Amino acid sequence: MEEKRSFDMIVVGGGPGGCTAALYAARAGLSVLVLEKLSAGGQMALTEAIDNYPGYDEGIDGFTLAEKMQRQAERFGAKTEYAEVLSLDLAANPKRLSTDAGDFFARTVVIAAGAQPRELGLAHEAELTGKGVAYCAACDGMRYKGKTVVVVGGGSSAAADALLLSRVAGKVILVHRRGKLRAEKIYNEPLMRAGNIEFRWNSVVAGLLHGAKLTGVRLRDVATGAETDIDCDGLFISVGRKPSTRLERGQLELDSGGYIAADETTKTSLPGVYAVGDVRAKPLRQVVTAVADGAVAVHMAEEFLAGGA
Amino acid sequence: MAAVNINTEEFKRMISGDKPVLVDFWAPWCGYCRRLAPAYDALADELGGELAFAKINVDDDSAVADELGVEVIPTLIMYKNGRAVDSVVNPGSKGAMERFIRAALAK
Repeated sequence: MEEKRSFDMIVVGGGPGGCTAALYAARAGLSVLVLEKLSAGGQMALTEAIDNYPGYDEGIDGFTLAEKMQRQAERFGAKTEYAEVLSLDLAANPKRLSTDAGDFFARTVVIAAGAQPRELGLAHEAELTGKGVAYCAACDGMRYKGKTVVVVGGGSSAAADALLLSRVAGKVILVHRRGKLRAEKIYNEPLMRAGNIEFRWNSVVAGLLHGAKLTGVRLRDVATGAETDIDCDGLFISVGRKPSTRLERGQLELDSGGYIAADETTKTSLPGVYAVGDVRAKPLRQVVTAVADGAVAVHMAEEFLAGGA
Repeated sequence: MAAVNINTEEFKRMISGDKPVLVDFWAPWCGYCRRLAPAYDALADELGGELAFAKINVDDDSAVADELGVEVIPTLIMYKNGRAVDSVVNPGSKGAMERFIRAALAK
């Protein structure tokens, strides 16, 4: 039997928003396929403990929550294909999604491609990733037991990373381009109290020092331009995220940050195409707001399909 | 055929066999490793006739990982006739894993 290639709905990305869209679509009797390049969960899968998703009073690790969401959608008939989307034609009828596992077609598309950590853009950053350069303290922190690590960034996630690493590493050096953190105030006291966190204010990481692995970083004082080299075993980059919207550029309206322009209805600039989760322009990016988007998108898609368009 | 969990002894026996063996070095605390597992298992089902898929938990068998110089996980190493022919660290998609396997088998 030939594999099914055409669906009422295809969801791009298997994070919480995508899994919820698949769940609601399957329960509404739509044929739905989730295209996911590696595994369910998206960014959530790399989160050690999720303590703000209601219903899990003891917290839950992100990978396990992702597996549960995927299985729940599949229980009602949603399908998952482990394939990476290479190009999209969202204006076509049906809409076409070309992947490394062939072409798929759908009457509606939910973009749930999420976001990824923003890089610093330094020379050799990509090849040193996993060899001292990291973007996820919860995932990679354990490797730096007793060692010296640098954290770059000034927001809440950088502060949380520095705190987490201070419990594992011997010494943490927090580098921030401004004279104080943008992080929520609740982080200030624990950061000061940790005892093994040093601060390098008004500084940026200007270069990576390395052999086969990272050995240190070059810091530049943004006021004076003076450069200093410091030894470290790890560099954790926590300077925000960027949406995964490369494929949609030119087809869907994006905002200045590259996020897909869509309001609470999740409707994008093209009929039958919806944006859910971190990929959508929105004030708060959380698992709970992503899952809410997923439900809304299916409601809108049902209206669209009923309209016979 | 599903991916099998192996220890150091089984590893030595397995890689000296006729069938190529892909080994996934992982640990339960490693988020990137857990994320690889569903696609790795799916590939084991699809390609299990051509090669064997194995997993070594480096927390349980740190000796073999140290001996092979595996410093970063997840690392996949392809063995043919008892010899490592290629390796990849943290492939980003099921497709990337499959392309690595095809290229390594052709070596």
